[in-house]
Amino acid sequence: MSSTGLEESDACAGDDSKRSKSSEEDKRGLMKRAAVKQKIERYYHQLTEGCGNDSCSNQFCASSPAFEPLDNNAAALRAVDLCRNKARLCDPHPSKRGATVLRSPDHSKAAALACSGPLPEGATGGKVSQPPRQNSTDVGCLTEEQLEGIVHTCRETGDLAPLVRIVGRVFSCADALALSFCHNATPSKEELKARQARDEDKDEDEKEGDGGDGEPMDAETTMMTTASEMVDTTHACHSPTVSPPAPSPPMPQSPDAEEISVDIEAVRRSYRLLQEYDGVETALLNALLCLSTNVECELAYHNVYARSPHYLNIFVIVMENPSLHSPEYLDAALPTFCKAMSRLPTLAQARLVLLWAKNDANELRRMVETFQQLITCRVITQDFGSQRLVNEDDAVVAATKCLKIVYYASLLGGEVDSNPRDEEESEEDENDGEPTDSTFRELLGAVPRGKRPMPFEPLAIEVGVQPIDCLHPLVPHEDFINEPLNDVLEMDKDFTFFRVEQEKRFSFMTCPFILSPVTKSLGLYYDNRIRMYSERRITVFHSLVQGQHLHPYLRLKVRRDHVIDDALVRLEMIALENPTDLRKQLYVEFEGEQGVDEGGVSKEFFQLVVEEIFNRDIGMFTFDEATHLFWFNPSSLENEGQFTLIGIVLGLAIYNNCILDIHFPMVVYRKLMGKRGSFHDLVDSHPTLYRSLHYLLHYQGNVEEDIMATFRISTLDMFGTPVSYDLQENADQVPVNNWNRQEFVDLYANYILNTSVEKQFRAFRHGFHMVTSESPLKMLFRPEEIELLVCGSKVLDFHALQEATEYDGGFSKTSRIIKEFWETVHEFTEDQKCLLLQFTTGTDRAPVGGLGKLKMIIAKNGPDSDRLPTAHTCFNVLLLPEYSTQEKLKERLLKAITHAKGFGML
Amino acid sequence: MAASRRLTKEIADLKTHGLRSFRNIIMDESNVLHWQGLLVPDNPPYDKGAFWVDIIFPSDYPFKPPKVMFRTKIYHPNVDERGQVCLPIVSPENWKPATKADQVIQALLALVNDPEPEHPLRAELAEEYTQDRKRFMRIAEEHTRKHAERRPTD
Repeated sequence: MSSTGLEESDACAGDDSKRSKSSEEDKRGLMKRAAVKQKIERYYHQLTEGCGNDSCSNQFCASSPAFEPLDNNAAALRAVDLCRNKARLCDPHPSKRGATVLRSPDHSKAAALACSGPLPEGATGGKVSQPPRQNSTDVGCLTEEQLEGIVHTCRETGDLAPLVRIVGRVFSCADALALSFCHNATPSKEELKARQARDEDKDEDEKEGDGGDGEPMDAETTMMTTASEMVDTTHACHSPTVSPPAPSPPMPQSPDAEEISVDIEAVRRSYRLLQEYDGVETALLNALLCLSTNVECELAYHNVYARSPHYLNIFVIVMENPSLHSPEYLDAALPTFCKAMSRLPTLAQARLVLLWAKNDANELRRMVETFQQLITCRVITQDFGSQRLVNEDDAVVAATKCLKIVYYASLLGGEVDSNPRDEEESEEDENDGEPTDSTFRELLGAVPRGKRPMPFEPLAIEVGVQPIDCLHPLVPHEDFINEPLNDVLEMDKDFTFFRVEQEKRFSFMTCPFILSPVTKSLGLYYDNRIRMYSERRITVFHSLVQGQHLHPYLRLKVRRDHVIDDALVRLEMIALENPTDLRKQLYVEFEGEQGVDEGGVSKEFFQLVVEEIFNRDIGMFTFDEATHLFWFNPSSLENEGQFTLIGIVLGLAIYNNCILDIHFPMVVYRKLMGKRGSFHDLVDSHPTLYRSLHYLLHYQGNVEEDIMATFRISTLDMFGTPVSYDLQENADQVPVNNWNRQEFVDLYANYILNTSVEKQFRAFRHGFHMVTSESPLKMLFRPEEIELLVCGSKVLDFHALQEATEYDGGFSKTSRIIKEFWETVHEFTEDQKCLLLQFTTGTDRAPVGGLGKLKMIIAKNGPDSDRLPTAHTCFNVLLLPEYSTQEKLKERLLKAITHAKGFGML
Repeated sequence: MAASRRLTKEIADLKTHGLRSFRNIIMDESNVLHWQGLLVPDNPPYDKGAFWVDIIFPSDYPFKPPKVMFRTKIYHPNVDERGQVCLPIVSPENWKPATKADQVIQALLALVNDPEPEHPLRAELAEEYTQDRKRFMRIAEEHTRKHAERRPTD
C-alpha cells in the first residue's frame, strides 16, 4: 500500500493537468472539496479492497465476484470517474470500516491531488473551463516562511496533503508564482502587521495541532484553515486597496538584474525543504506542466511580460528546481517550459542573463545540463534526418534558445576582457572600393556586398558581451556543444534557413555555441561555395552581355621558383582593380606544369607561399625559439602591401578550405576578430615577458626599489640592436612603483601587441577582410576555432619525433629502455603527449614542419633508481634513469610530466 | 637604455661589497648589457684555477633573464663544451624580475662548487662523477690546471 500514493497521484493529476485548475478558496469550497475527496477515497477503497461482502453485487467493488482486479493507478483513475458519474457506492462492511476512517497519508495525498485539480463538475461549481487569469486573484503567493510553516505542520500531523495542495496550486499559477519568494527588504507597515498577525495565527495553529495529536482529522481541518487564512493575509498584502505592494516598477528600459524581486536563496532553501517529500515532487512536476502551457500562451498572445515585470520571477523560480533535469520532466513539462521561456522578449532574456551571471559555475552548469539533456533526449529518441528536420522540432529549438540565455550568462559571469573592441576595422571596410556596377550585379542575383551585415545577436547587444570578449566563461564553451544534435543536423538545410530572408524556420547557425567546429566549418563551406558560384554566374553574364572576356575563377599563374613574387604581383593587382574577384574559386597553375587544379595544386601553392613568407631571411615575421611561434616584425623592411597580401592568403586559405602550416599566437586571431591585444594575450605570444609582468603585478615588496624599472622600455630591432620606447612622456624619469604598476603593465602589453605592430597588422587584417569580410566567419567562430580552421588540429606526430630523436650518455635507438619509452609514449593520450612535449621542450607546440623537425635528445641519467625523469628545456634534452621495468618507466614518466612545472623539480 | 639604470646600480653594489669569488668585473662602457667576471670557486677540483664568465643581459632586463656563459673551458657535468650552463634561476620559466645579478652569481658559484649530476648537460661526466669520483676528480683537476686562469693572489 505504501507505494500506491505516488502512483495514484500520478495518474489522477496527469489526467487533471490538461484542464485548467480551479481555485475555489472559500471555506465552503474547502468543505465541498473535503467531501468530494472523501468520496473519491471511498470509491478507491471499494475498487482496491472491496466492501468486504463476498457476494457484493456492485460491479465496481473489489469484493464482487464479477470484479476484475485493477492496479492502483487504474483504480485511482476509475475512482475519480465513478465519483463524477455518482456511481453506486457500497455500504462499507463493518470489517472494513477502519480502512476508510483511518487516513493514511497516501490516501489523502491522492485525494488531495485529485481535489486540487479540477474536480467533478458538481463539486466545484463548474469553474473548470475558465481561463486561469480571471480567477487567479483567488490564489495567493507563497513565501519561504509560509512554506516552512506548512511543512512544519505537515510533519507534525504526518499528513502531506496541505503541502502538496499549496505547492501544486502556487507553482501552477503564473500570477501566484510570480509574486512568491520575493525579497522583503522594505515591507510596509501594513505588511508587517499582516505578517505578524499571520505568525500569531500560525503559532496558535501549531498549538492546536499539538493538542490534537490523537485526532488526525482535526489536524487536517486546522491545516486547511491555516492555508486559507494564509491565502487571505497574503492576498491582502498584495491587494492595492489594503496596502500597496512593492509598487510594480515601470517597464525597465535596460536589463538590470537588480529589478528581479525574487529571493533566489529563499527559493533554493525552499526547494531543498520540499525535496524531502516524495509527493511534492509530483505536484511540482504537474504544476510546471500546467504553468508552462499557460505562460507560453500568455507570453505569445497577451504580451503579459510588458504588463508585469514580476512575470520573469516565474522563470527564475522554476529554473532553480533541482530536479528539472530528471527524466520525469523531460517528457512534457520541460519542453513546454522551454517553449514558454523562449517566448520571452529579448530584454527579459537579458535580465535573466544578468541575474544568472552572478551564479556560481555549478548552478550554471546544472542549467546547461538540463537543457542539453532535453535536446539530447529528443534527438536520440526521434528519428531526425533530411526527411524530418531537427529544426522543426519545437522542443529542441526552444531548448536551444534557452541554452543561449545560459550561454550568455556563462560569458558574462566569466572573466571578461574589458578592452574595447577595435573600431577601426569598420572604417577600413568602408574604404574598400565598391565596384561601380553593383546594381547590375544585384540584378543578377549576386550576394550584395556590404548590404547585409551579419545579423548581430540581439541578446549579445542587450547584455553587452560578445563571445570574443570572454576570456574564461563560467562553464567551458565545449559544454555547450551538443554532439548528438550536430550529428542529425542537416547543415545545407540549416544554412538555407539562415541565409534566406523569407525563411522563417529556425537556424542553428544563429546559436553557434551549440555547434561543433566541424559543423560550423561545414556552414562556412556552404557560404563560401555559394559566393563562389554566384561570382561565377555573374562573370558568365558579364561576358555574354558586355562581351568582356572575364575569368570565372581566380586564376593565379605562378612560376615555381618565383612563387611569392608572381602571386603577390597578381594578387596585388586584383586587390586594387577588382577585390570581388578574390571571392572566386581559386585556380592555381604552375607555369610549365600540366597539373589541373582540383584543390591539390592550390594546396601546394599555399604550402610554398607560407614557407617563403615565414622564412626568417625575409624578416616579415620574427620567430620565437621558445614558443615556436611567429610574430609581426615591428621593424620589418617590407611595405604594408606585403602584409596585406599575407592577409589575403590567409583569407583565401580559409575560403578555399586549405590548411596552412602557420604558427601564430592566439592574439593574432583575436585581433583579426576585432579585439585589441592586452596583457593576458602575452601568455602565449610572449610567455617570459608575461611571467615577469605577472610577477611585477603581484610583487609583495617595494617595486620601485627592487625592480628599478621606468616607463621607458626596450626591445630589439631586427638587427638585434636595442631600441628604447617611451610609454609616456619623460618615461625614463617615471619609475614603476606599487601604485602605477598596473598602468605600466597595460601600456607595456599594448605597446608590444598593438602599437609596435600597428602598421603591419592593420595591413594584414585589411587583406584578410578583403576575402572574408562578409562571411559568417566572425559570427560563427571563436578565435581558437579560427586557428583550428587555419592550421588544422594540433595532432602531434610522435612517430616523426621518434625518427628524429637522438640519444646520448649510453642510450641508442636499440636500447631496451628506449624501445619501451616509445612504446609507452605512443600509448599516451593526446593530452599526455602534449605534457611530455611541454616537459621536454618547454612548449606543447610542434615546430614548423612538425615534430620531425624537433631535435630531441634522450640521455641516460644513471642506472635504475627511483629518481624522476628530468629535462633541460633549453636544449630539448630528456634525462632518463635506466628504469628496470616498463611499468616503472611509465609511472615515473607520468608523474614527472604531470606534476613538474618548469624547473620546480630540481 | 631602459635597463642601464638598474645595471649600473647593481654593478656598483657588487663592487662595493667586493665578492671574493667573483671579481675583476668588467662592464663595457659602450654596452652595459655585457659583463665579464672571474669566477673563483673554493671546492676541489676547481679550486686550482679561476674561470672567466660572461653575463649577458637582454635589453628588456629585468623583464627577461640574463644569460650566463663560461668563457674558460671547464670540466663539469653541468656545463657543456660550448660553455653553456643550465642555471634554473635564469631560465625563462623561473625568472623573477626582482632577482639581482648578485643572486645569479651566487647560484652559479654554488653549482660549480657542488655539481648536480642529477641534471647533467654532459651525461658522461655526470656518470663518471657518480660512479668513479676519484677518476673524475683527477681529470677535472688536470683539466683545471691546463685550461683555467690563474687564481688571484690576494
